[in-house]
Amino acid sequence: MILSIIAYLSIGLFVGISVFKAYQFAKMPFHGRMDLYPVPKEKGFEHGGSYYEETAWWTKPHEVSHMREIVEMLKEILFIKKLFENQRPFWWISYALHLGIYFLMAWTILLVVGGLFEVNGISVAANTSSILGLLVYYVTALTGYFGLALATLGSGLLFLRRAFDNTLKKYTTPQEYFNLLLIFAALVTGIFTWGNDLSFGYAREVTANLVTFTPFSANGLLTLHIFLVGIMLIYIPISKMSHYVGKYFTFHKVLWDNNPNLKGSGVEQEIKKASSFRPTTSWSAPHINPPAAPEK
Amino acid sequence: MLNQRDLRPKDMGRSDEQLIKLDNLIPLLAPYDKPGMESPLTDPKPAWKEKFCTSLDGYVGIDTLTRPKSKEEEDEFVRKFLSGLEKIFSDANNGVLQPLLLSFEYCAKCNTCSDACHIYSATGNNELYRPIFRSEVLRKIVKKYFTTSGKLLGGFVGADIDVNWETIARLGELAYRCNLCRRCAQTCPLGLDNAILSKEIRKIFSQEMGIAPTPLHTKGTMLQIKTGSSTGLSKPAFLDTLEFLEEDTEEKFGIKLKFPVDKKGADILVLHNAGEFMAWPENPVAFAILFDAAGLNWTLSSEIMGYDSVNYGLWYDDYQAKKIALMQMKVAKEFGVKRMVVAECGHAHKASIITSDRMTSDRVPVESCLPLLWDMVRNKQLKLDPSKNNFPVTLHDPCNIVRQMGIVEPQRNILKAIAPQFREMTPHGVDNYCCGGGSGFAIMNYANFPEFRTQVASRVKFNQILGAFKGTMEDVSTPKYICAPCSNCKGAMRGILEHYDASEKYNLQYGGLVELMVNALVSMKKPFLEFLE
Repeated sequence: MILSIIAYLSIGLFVGISVFKAYQFAKMPFHGRMDLYPVPKEKGFEHGGSYYEETAWWTKPHEVSHMREIVEMLKEILFIKKLFENQRPFWWISYALHLGIYFLMAWTILLVVGGLFEVNGISVAANTSSILGLLVYYVTALTGYFGLALATLGSGLLFLRRAFDNTLKKYTTPQEYFNLLLIFAALVTGIFTWGNDLSFGYAREVTANLVTFTPFSANGLLTLHIFLVGIMLIYIPISKMSHYVGKYFTFHKVLWDNNPNLKGSGVEQEIKKASSFRPTTSWSAPHINPPAAPEK
Repeated sequence: MLNQRDLRPKDMGRSDEQLIKLDNLIPLLAPYDKPGMESPLTDPKPAWKEKFCTSLDGYVGIDTLTRPKSKEEEDEFVRKFLSGLEKIFSDANNGVLQPLLLSFEYCAKCNTCSDACHIYSATGNNELYRPIFRSEVLRKIVKKYFTTSGKLLGGFVGADIDVNWETIARLGELAYRCNLCRRCAQTCPLGLDNAILSKEIRKIFSQEMGIAPTPLHTKGTMLQIKTGSSTGLSKPAFLDTLEFLEEDTEEKFGIKLKFPVDKKGADILVLHNAGEFMAWPENPVAFAILFDAAGLNWTLSSEIMGYDSVNYGLWYDDYQAKKIALMQMKVAKEFGVKRMVVAECGHAHKASIITSDRMTSDRVPVESCLPLLWDMVRNKQLKLDPSKNNFPVTLHDPCNIVRQMGIVEPQRNILKAIAPQFREMTPHGVDNYCCGGGSGFAIMNYANFPEFRTQVASRVKFNQILGAFKGTMEDVSTPKYICAPCSNCKGAMRGILEHYDASEKYNLQYGGLVELMVNALVSMKKPFLEFLE
C-alpha cells in the first residue's frame, strides 16, 4: 500500500511540479525582444532571414509557418538536433540517456496497460490468443530492453565523462554528479529487479498491484527501486533537470519570438500593460532617478 | 599566475597579481603566418596594475574600475555588487527576467557553446574565455548569497567561491571580454544565452555601482543625452559638417549635393551613426547620392537626438538604452515622417528596430537601409556598372543586423550585382563571426584594451578575411575590399588593418556598402573609392 502511495504521489508530484514550473515561467513579466536567427517560422528560415529583409515590412503580412516551427521543435525534442550538429561525441551518450528515458516512459505506460489487461482477463503473453495482448507483450519487451539499456548506459557514461573529462569536471558540482547517480541508481535497481523475468510478467504484476492499490509482498530490492524512482521523479522537476520545461520557453518565448509591435497587435497590448507597472525595487547608480515605489 | 588549463571558476577570488597570461593565440593565415609579422602581446604597465583591475588577464576593459584605497571601500564595492546582483532577479529587471532566469538556471554544462566563441577560439581555447566560465562564476556567487541550497549545502551545490574585491572586479572585467555576439546561443541545445549573463554583469556595474567604461557611459550615452550625439557634435557643428561635405563632394566629384535637413513632408528620416560624419564622411555622402539618384523623399534631422542613431546603452545599461531610444522616437514622431531608416550601423539597427520595439506602444515604423538599397538595385532605380568594382570584395556580416535581426540576403544580393569578384567569408550569414569590435570594444581605446581587441577579439575575423582573399593577398596592385556595413565593425576593421599594416603592405581596404554602390554608378566621372585613384 505504501509503495502504491509512493508511486502515485511521485508521478503526481512530477507532473504537478513540472506544470507549476511551466506556469511560473509563463506568467513572468513581458520581456524585451531577444530573437536569434535562424527562426524556424520565418519564410527565410533556410538562410536565417526574417521579415526585416523586406522594405516597409510593417505594411506586409508577416508570413509564418507554424508547421516548420513544430518540425524544428520535434527535431530538437526527438533527436537533440543542436547537440548532434555541434558536439557529436557528447550527443551519443546524451542521446542514449534521453532516448532511453523516452522508451522507459512508453514502457511504463505499457506496463500499466498490460497490468490492467491482466486484471481484466486479457492475457499479455507470447502465447496469448489476444492480438492486443500480443502487441502489448512485445512492445513492452522491446521498450523495456532498449529503455533500460540506453538510459543506464547514457547516465553511467555521462557520469564517467563528467568525472574524467578535465574540462567538464571543473564545471560540475557535486550536486550534478548526484543528479546523474540518482538516475543511474534508479535504473540499475530496476535492471536487477525486473531483469530476472525478461518477459516483464513480474513487472506487469507489480505494476497492476501498484495501480490498483492491491497489497503484495515486496522484497528489499523492489522496495528500494520503487523508493529511488519515486525520489527521482519528485527531484527532477525541482532540479535543473527540469530543462524539458525551460527549453520550451527558451526557444518559443525568447529566441524564436520575433512578433513585432504593430498597432492593434497582442504585443502592443502587452506593452501597454507592462508600461503601467511600477517596480518596487530600483537601481542606485547616480545617473538613474529611481522610480517611486507604489503605495502598499 | 595559473596555467590556464588548471583555471576553475572558483579561482576568480585568488590573490594572484594576474590570473592568466595570454600566450597561445591561434596562428594567423598567410601572408601573416611568417615569424615577426605580428608584435608580441605586452604586459600591463605597473601604473595600470596599481590603479585598475589588471588581475584578470592583464588588460584594462573598464577604466572607471579603480582599486579601493581602504578596507571600507573594498567592502562597499562588494556590498554594492551583491545589491545589484539581487536586483537583476527582481521586478527592477522585468524586461529581461524570463530570459535571464532561463539562461541562469538551466545550463547543463555540456560545453557545446565553447567552440562557437571567437575569443575562446582565438586564444587557443583559453579556459578564462570559455563562455560558461563567466556564467558559472556568477552562478556561484548567486548560490552563495541568495539561495537556501547554497547557504545550507555550500560547495555541494557549487557555492564554493571566495567573494572579495578581486572576484567582483575580475568578473566585471570578464564581462568586457565578450562581444555579446550571441553566436554561442545559436549552438546551445537548451537555447541558453551566455551573452545575457555578460550583459547583466555589465548592467550591475553600471546601473547599481555607477561603473562603466568612459567611452560607453560618460563620453557615450551621457554625452548623447546632453548634446544629442555621443560624438559631442552639436546642432551648429552638424550643420557645418554637412555644408563642408556638400562643398567637398562638389569639389571632388562635381556633384552638387544638398543634404535635406528637417525637410517638412519627407517620407523617410535617415538616421546615421554620427561617428560616420567624423570618421567616414564618404558614407553619409554616398547615402545622399544614392537616395537622390533613386528619387526618394528623405531628410536628415538636426534636432537633438535626431542626427545620431547610436545607442550604447544597448551594451551595458538598460536605463540609458531606453532613455535614448525614447528620445530618438520622440524626434521622429514630432517630425511626422512615415518611417525611419537606419543607415549602416549594426547596433543602431538592433537598438532602433528590435530592442526599442517593446519599449513604447506608439511608434514610427523603423526599417533597415539594406532592403531599401537592394530595392534600388533590383528595381533598376540606379544605373550601375559592376566593372567599376572589378576587384576582390568580401562581406562582413554585422552580428546585430544578421544573426540578431535576420537581414541576410539584401546586402549579398547587392554585392552579387555590383561586385564581379565578390566572395563569401567562411562561415558567413547568421553563422558569421563578430568583427571583434562588438558591444563597445571598437570604441574602447584606452590603456592596453586596443591590443586585446585587435590581436585577440578580432583575430578570428582577420583570419576569415585572409581566407576570403587567399591567393590575392600578395598581389599588391589589386585592392581587396572588406565590405562592412556597420560603423562599429568598420572601427574594428580599421584597428585590424592599422595594426597589421595591411593596407600599406597588401592593399587591403575596408568600407561600407553604399560606397561600393556609388563607385559603381555609371554617372560617376571618377572613382568614389579613394584607393582606386
